[in-house]
Amino acid sequence: MTQLAKPSMFENPYRPWPARITSITELTSTEKLFELRIIDPDVREAFHHSDGQFVELSIFGVGEAPISISSSPSKQGFIELCVRRAGTVTTVLHDMQCGDVVGLRGPFGHGFPFEEMKGKDILLVAGGLGIAPLRSLINHIHDERSEFGNVTIIYGSRNPAEVMFRSQFEMWRHRKDFNLILTVDRTNDLPWDGEVGLVTKFIPGLELDPSNTYGAIVGPPGMYRFVIAEMRKKGLHYDKIYVSFERQMKCGMGRCGHCMVGHQYTCIDGPVFNYWEAVNIQGAM
Amino acid sequence: MLFRVIDKNEVPSLVRGFAAHYEVVGPVERNGGFAFDEVGSDPSRLRVDYDTTLLPPKKYLFPPKAELFTYDTVNNEVKDIDIPVVPRVLFGLHSCDINAINRLDAVFMASDFPDPYYRAQREATMIVGIDCTPNDHCFCNLWGTDEVTQGYDLFLHDLGDRYLVSILSVTAAEILAVATSARPASPKDSIDFQEKARAFKNSFSSGPAVYELPILMDAFYNDGLWDELGDRCLSCTACSMVCPTCYCFNMVDKLDAGGRSGARLRLWDSCCSPSFALVAGGHNFRPTAASRVRNRFYHKFLGYLSKYGNTLCTGCGRCERACKAHISPRVVIQGLQHKAVQSDAAAQGEGGRS
Ligand SMILES: Cc1cc2nc3c(=O)[nH]c(=O)nc-3n(C[C@H](O)[C@H](O)[C@H](O)COP(=O)(O)OP(=O)(O)OC[C@H]3O[C@@H](n4cnc5c(N)ncnc54)[C@H](O)[C@@H]3O)c2cc1C
Ligand code: SF4
Ligand code: SF4
Repeated sequence: MTQLAKPSMFENPYRPWPARITSITELTSTEKLFELRIIDPDVREAFHHSDGQFVELSIFGVGEAPISISSSPSKQGFIELCVRRAGTVTTVLHDMQCGDVVGLRGPFGHGFPFEEMKGKDILLVAGGLGIAPLRSLINHIHDERSEFGNVTIIYGSRNPAEVMFRSQFEMWRHRKDFNLILTVDRTNDLPWDGEVGLVTKFIPGLELDPSNTYGAIVGPPGMYRFVIAEMRKKGLHYDKIYVSFERQMKCGMGRCGHCMVGHQYTCIDGPVFNYWEAVNIQGAM
Repeated sequence: MLFRVIDKNEVPSLVRGFAAHYEVVGPVERNGGFAFDEVGSDPSRLRVDYDTTLLPPKKYLFPPKAELFTYDTVNNEVKDIDIPVVPRVLFGLHSCDINAINRLDAVFMASDFPDPYYRAQREATMIVGIDCTPNDHCFCNLWGTDEVTQGYDLFLHDLGDRYLVSILSVTAAEILAVATSARPASPKDSIDFQEKARAFKNSFSSGPAVYELPILMDAFYNDGLWDELGDRCLSCTACSMVCPTCYCFNMVDKLDAGGRSGARLRLWDSCCSPSFALVAGGHNFRPTAASRVRNRFYHKFLGYLSKYGNTLCTGCGRCERACKAHISPRVVIQGLQHKAVQSDAAAQGEGGRS
């Protein structure tokens, strides 16, 4: 008695869409930036993301991985993903060439409140690969720069070899409209003309109007507590500090259970939470 | 809602009425217990007097292993999405299991991302509920899931020699009308129904009150109780496999011989499995059995409640029977309430000294 129902392709959120790799930039020895274009023009046009959202990237026969969208929503028609070689899917992706095809579904999740941040001063802190989701927000703010007050970006890496998007940031360091602080934990005797020290070192000296500032932090799990503490010392409000979580994820739709944290699903309730939400999630901070 | 009355000996004819259009699945005896199986071809196998089944009916809507689509690994694209749908009647479900399906419906259908696989099969499924007799492992009365008011097509309330049939769908009403000599309910039927309902409520052993359970889950989140339970848990995942409301899953790719094509599968998974929250690089967000058992109950008693307004347990007792480590919702509830009494006494003691 088996019947077959063929749903319209748009109705199936499990279906990855073919996307072509149109550019690959080597960022470090373990990270590459991939530019991807969804092949079907209707699907490509219908794809709109917000800063901090992610896609599920498929390589058929290997599996899927959740990856933050690293390009600004102000750029349509393609997305950029900044991917670390970490396991099976990401390793196969790293071995792919321009012109190869992968699968994409999404975008998923709640991102940063871009519209709400307009008119405010902004303090963004990225550690390591945390620059991937924050880069979307950074570039988006850049594209609508006049809408924002003072913008401070602190980006920390372990050593100079791990600094990503270096040429973009080199150019920005001399701009008056961005206060960009590039720092490394150690120079490892490599040439480096940025700062040395943990990202937290640079927050106390900032001149901020705490009631008018939005903070956002993305980095390794161990970093959040310390950066939040510094932002709180500066007087930033609990609900104006944003963080992004990483968990194992399969579906991206609040169902498969892997990304559960306390009473929330990282995939649909996050991955971006404000600190007030985050401290009220058992086991999150 | 509409009510009719049928005689008990009309059940086989009702099953045959459904079987003309649908696959009919109901409880049958198996290995000294009960299991759901196809009964349309032989309604005499149907055991409407069953107490519970080892496995819940969720597999008929959310199969343990389903193919989401097939793909081509040469061009890296989806080849085919076939959603198999079997028009089916789940006959003889108890209130707890219908309530469980309602919980799953909330997750799979009323979401920002409705699940096309679940939805197609759910829409092709009819449910005929029936009264039950509670056994020692049942505690649906704690949650109020001993009653069900939606989600079924027909519900057969036992009035001794006849059933009062509560009707929620037109299709089922039509089949009932053709297959049986259903008659309107009389005042006597409604009086008998009331008495039966009262007797049913009284047939449960009384259990702990659960109003404050979400508060206790929060207050005792870091309590040693979870370590005690974690030390016992074997991480066997049996609890989730037999649970009618557990819906966690995994997605894996399977390659055909030759590797040029394959399928993406969705498989039942369990949050009690050790690698469930493991990420690349080796960090495990729930590395201990204690953290996993806590997560399972935190979701059931608080997480799901905060999203969907219900507890994600129907008190069917299946996990209580399946768990070799004697971990169950009742053990957790009693453990938490014991802790609450203990710490209250300790607080009183401190108050007395000061
Ligand atoms: C919201 C979100 C955004 C992310 N953004 C980025 C990004 O921009 N760049 C980047 O390089 N990485 C990012 N990650 C991490 C990335 O998803 C993992 O590195 C990746 O899943 C590893 O997959 P793999 O198959 O290569 O590794 P394996 O270890 O072989 O993974 C096997 C499976 O485990 C699961 N898994 C393992 N690690 C993770 C993880 N950290 N998060 C979620 N699922 C995991 C996946 O389902 C994966 O298919 C993000 C993770 C999340 C949750
Ligand atoms: S709680 Fe019991 S059934 Fe569940 S995984 Fe642990 S030992 Fe197995
Ligand atoms: S948690 Fe146990 S008692 Fe509750 S619905 Fe699941 S199997 Fe039944």
